[in-house]
This record gives sequence, structure tokens and C-alpha cells, in this order.
Amino acid sequence: MDAVYRFVFIDPWPFWLGGLCIGFLVPGLYYFLNTPLGVSTGYGSYLKLLFPKSKLRWLNSKTFAGDFDWRILFLLGILIGAFFSARMSGKPFLTEAMGLFTQRLSWPLPRMLLWFFTGGLLLGLGSRLAGGCTSGHSIHGLANLHLSSLIATVFFLIFGVLTVYGIRVLWMGGV
Amino acid sequence: MKRRFCFLGAGVFFGFSLSRVGAAEFDLIWKMFTGEDLKLAWVMLTAIITGFFGMQLLRITGYRGVDGMPIQIKKKPVTWLNAAGGSLFGIGWGMAGACPGTILAQVGEGKVLGLATLAGIMAGTFVYALMAERISFKE
Repeated sequence: MDAVYRFVFIDPWPFWLGGLCIGFLVPGLYYFLNTPLGVSTGYGSYLKLLFPKSKLRWLNSKTFAGDFDWRILFLLGILIGAFFSARMSGKPFLTEAMGLFTQRLSWPLPRMLLWFFTGGLLLGLGSRLAGGCTSGHSIHGLANLHLSSLIATVFFLIFGVLTVYGIRVLWMGGV
Repeated sequence: MKRRFCFLGAGVFFGFSLSRVGAAEFDLIWKMFTGEDLKLAWVMLTAIITGFFGMQLLRITGYRGVDGMPIQIKKKPVTWLNAAGGSLFGIGWGMAGACPGTILAQVGEGKVLGLATLAGIMAGTFVYALMAERISFKE
């Protein structure tokens, strides 16, 4: 029993367990809720929540119509699920560390914040233009063999690789 | 009400899985891009294969949901924006070490710098909403 608890809640999952659980969500959401898996459109739902009177056309499109937008709860759930995961496995509660980035670069805080904000801005704009993000395109779309998802995913990966190598060459003394 | 609870539960399951497998670890995302540690690439591949077989099961059973209602699968349009938006997204993915799903897991785990990324995603989505005023994107 103790070993099972350790495996599920303490030790990092092996790749296949994470893959099975995440992949299950694609047919699972269709079967139980008749909904395609996707996260990034949900940020539009939160914009709508913040600015309910906005006249912007996109925020008034049928994507966000209706009295209840499931994406609000789904995105909130991701946050809560990760919170429980971190608490149960004994990760520090609040940390300003961000892996290799904060280990190898001693940038002042405003520069760090601006950097991550810019990264986020590109994620937000890019996913809307591309029509989805890693979950909507790379997991849901590829599992359904959609061509648009294959194109998007290939470009996600190419530019992800180029960016990380660029950062390493520019600021971390080589690859 | 039950339906709302299910969506919240699905999100909790997704966030828990992402966090447990290490998808919210900045280093694992970076090491996937440099090829030093491909764990997350294997996670994605396993997820795609699992999703594919699950969808085949739904196809064989006639695309009927648990309540007997027909399941509709919407295909997104193929445009040059898949590549253009995908490129911007890739740069953001490398810069932030997160994507729109895993950033929520990062923040849930308590990584405070992730809040800047989260604010950026909201801003980027807002920029799109402004662009959509003038340009008609296929949705």
C-alpha cells in the first residue's frame, strides 16, 4: 500500500503513465462531455470574464456565448490539480526558482518578469493565430490526424528548439 | 451542475497528471528541446497514441456519447496561420518553458515567476482579440 502511494503521489510519474492519463482525456472529454480537449481558448473566456461588457467582436463570438463557459472551470481545475500534486509530493509552497533559467542567469527581477511576460504574450497570440496550443493541436489534433495540427506542431517544435539554443548561445555561454 | 463539476474534475485530473509527470518542470521542457532528456516528448507521443486509439474506439461504436448524443469532431481550418502562429508559439514555449496548459500547472505548484507568463498569455490573447477587429481569421 505504501509503495502504491509513493508511486502515485510522491515519485515523479514514468512517461507512459502521464501519457496514458493525458491521452485518455481526448476520447474521455468527447465521450462524457461531448467536448474537444483544448486549453488556450479558455484564456479568451477569462478575458470575457474580466471584461464582460467588452465590445470586441471575438469576445462576443459564439465561442464565448451561452450562460456557462466550461473552459473557465476546466482551466481552474488544472491549477487546482497541480496544487494538490505539488502539496502531496512535498514540493516547496512558493518558489521564485525556475529551473536552469534562474540557476544560470542572475538577471534582476524586472528583467525576469518582462522576459516571462513576453514569452507568455507570444504563447497567447501564437496559439490563437495557429488555432490551438499543445493540448488542442499537438494532443487532440494529432490524435484525430488533423493536418492543421501537424503543421502547427512542427512549427511549435522547430521554433522551440531554435529559441532554447539561441538563449543558451547568447546568455549561457554556448549550448 | 453535474456537468460543471465534471469539467472542473477533468481539469483537476489534467493538472494533476501534468504536474506528476513533470510537464510543469522548466528544465524538462528545455531538455526536450535540446534533446538531453526526451521524457516529455515520450509523454506527448504516448498521449497522442492513447488518444488515437480512444478515438478509434469511439468511431467503432458510432460516435455516441455516454448520454447517446452524437459526438461532433470539429476540424480546424488549414491555413498559413498554423505555421505563422505556430512559430510565435514555439518562441514563447522556449522562452517561458511552458505552454498555455502547463503554465497553469506551474502556477498551481507555486512557481511565482509563472504568474508573469500567465499575465503575458492573457495579454497575447487580448492582442489577438484586437487584431480580430480588423482582420477576419477563420475560426
